[in-house]
Amino acid sequence: MQTTDYTPLILSLKVAGISTVIVFIAGAFFAHLFARKQFFGKSILESLFLLPLVLPPTVVGFGLLILFGKKGWIGSWLLEWFDVQVVFTWIGAVIASIVVSFPLMYQSASAAFQNLDARLENAARTMGASEWKVFRTITFPLAWPGLLAGLVLSFARGLGEFGATLMLAGYIPGKTDTIPMAIYFAVESGNMEKATFWVVMIVALGFSTILWLNWWSRRSVQRYRNEQL
Amino acid sequence: MLEVHIKKELAHFAMDVHLQATDEILVLVGPSGSGKTTILNVIAGLDNPDEGSVRLNDQHYFQGKGKSLPPQKRDVGYLFQDYALFPHMTVQKNIYYGIKDKKDKAAIVRIEQLVDVLGIGHLTAKYPHQISGGEKQRVALARALATEPAVLLLDEPLSALDRETRLECQDELLRIHQMWKIPFIIVTHDMDEAEKLGDTLLFLKKGIVDKVMQNKVPVHL
Amino acid sequence: MKRGWLYVVSLWVLLMAAGCSNGEQSTSGTSGEPVELMVSAAASLTDALEEMKASFEDEHPEITLTFNFASSGKLVQQIEQGAPSDVFLSASPKDMDKLQEEKLIDEATRVDFTANELVLIAEKDSSLMVDLFEDIDPAAIDHFAIGEPESVPVGRYTKEVLEHLNLWEPLQSKIVLGSDVRQVLTHVEMGNADLGVVYSSDAKISDQVKVLASANPEWHGPIVYPGAVVADSKHSEEAKAFLTFLTSEKGKEILNQFGFQ
Repeated sequence: MQTTDYTPLILSLKVAGISTVIVFIAGAFFAHLFARKQFFGKSILESLFLLPLVLPPTVVGFGLLILFGKKGWIGSWLLEWFDVQVVFTWIGAVIASIVVSFPLMYQSASAAFQNLDARLENAARTMGASEWKVFRTITFPLAWPGLLAGLVLSFARGLGEFGATLMLAGYIPGKTDTIPMAIYFAVESGNMEKATFWVVMIVALGFSTILWLNWWSRRSVQRYRNEQL
Repeated sequence: MLEVHIKKELAHFAMDVHLQATDEILVLVGPSGSGKTTILNVIAGLDNPDEGSVRLNDQHYFQGKGKSLPPQKRDVGYLFQDYALFPHMTVQKNIYYGIKDKKDKAAIVRIEQLVDVLGIGHLTAKYPHQISGGEKQRVALARALATEPAVLLLDEPLSALDRETRLECQDELLRIHQMWKIPFIIVTHDMDEAEKLGDTLLFLKKGIVDKVMQNKVPVHL
Repeated sequence: MKRGWLYVVSLWVLLMAAGCSNGEQSTSGTSGEPVELMVSAAASLTDALEEMKASFEDEHPEITLTFNFASSGKLVQQIEQGAPSDVFLSASPKDMDKLQEEKLIDEATRVDFTANELVLIAEKDSSLMVDLFEDIDPAAIDHFAIGEPESVPVGRYTKEVLEHLNLWEPLQSKIVLGSDVRQVLTHVEMGNADLGVVYSSDAKISDQVKVLASANPEWHGPIVYPGAVVADSKHSEEAKAFLTFLTSEKGKEILNQFGFQ
């Protein structure tokens, strides 16, 4: 085997890592904001959040190109004011990854917050805890198993993201070639040895993350087993 | 003196309740769905009435829409149904949750005494799921009183316990009330319990006070 | 919320089911009776063939054309796997050679029915002043979109041209690779890539781009489109008739309309 170029691995971890951090914070924030509120347009907004889950990746990618392209609404603005180019850069890969994994995080976080017994938070409030303290000491730790599930799913989804990324970030060897892209082009050009190497790599990565999640959540469920949550 | 007047449109009826409590035990009795818990929530500030007022001594907790003190600023202790102990914290952490300054000497002395009276000193390192129902009830009581509230709300405090433990805990509640001398408002659907604990009994039916008994004697409204 | 999930999942299952059920095609029928001819064609031929369908079916009322469009490489894989197909129209001789070696096409029917050329394109409002491939200045551009050379035929030809002109190395840091020629076109259409190289037939169907220059055919391997009857075809006569139509004056005229030569 020729000397392996590990850029796809490093790039994939960087892109999935950064996107997961952003998705985690944003997903948890909106899920918490909406968890116990009813307002006009909530279900429309939530459907919009989940849309990237059902749309074909190329449609998501095309939409992102329209928004973040050099002449796109957001893209032209970023370029003019911050000199940041999204399209054909690893930032584009991060954005594609954020958009496709956000629904998973939002969904998990939403369920986690809604399943929480509101009385626990209320008990803390009657003891004088500020809203921030309630979130920090009660809501967050108790929703953590669900939030963690969302975090891991988002990471796994970001790691495997291909279609929208290819559209927005393009395929630039050494700059925007994530593992799924390396696999796709290796298969297309008949380089099965290279393809196999990266397939094994991404299967191992994805499998171990999900395995770890299952092990961890079983452990945490046992910890709270006897408590009615 | 706690004075409460609540007018509130609920799903199946309109609530209209007046109540007053001095340093006594006031028991709200009534079938489930008669609005008992709503009254406690309004006093604690977890829910707001459409109209009315909530006043504790000279402090106005609620004086109409937009003029509501948040639960954090109210001097109210609340023992929830099923206790709502924090499952991820030890008994010790649960009880001390409301104490802002963990080095506050007076608070430590007060809580240690409370823990002593309730006989839960040996439980402090345990988690809620490791202790029995009666023990949970005592921990929840200690936690609700730890912040030195001026009024204590108890929502079905004994319904999850077996008969023997319940009788034991009833005596204990009376004893604690003797020591504390603040209004206790207890919600229950058990008539015997209401009669044993209450100085004043308010019978609630579809959001309206149906009957009042004071020291076992019916009072005309 | 749980019901919302259920809805999304069932919708997805429904879509999957719908997607799976339209793969089958009937291949039965004898001459004289209506025949459905399955044409597996390179994606770049899409518009030209759709246009040709009506004229061909007018001349041969007993034949109905059905198209299966994909990249030539994918079509080769499909035919190798035994997917029903009567005619194979490839965008590159290399892919046709592969099937020929495996004896999956009728060698005698093979014909180069059209050709294409490489053109340099820019977004239609671009202010870049480039009239020749030789004039490309790597320093003056940010991104140069081409097909991926290992897997996309247009990319392979483009690489040959750029290597011939000693531009391949200097352009390395500017190159963005597309997974097919349409993606290259999109990158240029939306102004994300300053320049791109596509087939003239692709440039023709887009009104968002302008052609700056054509590549000299001597700079790259011949871009010809070979077609042949698939060896397993049960309608080889009708399939031959379609190949004949492709190379007829009428067929050529339609292909020219869409930028082929």
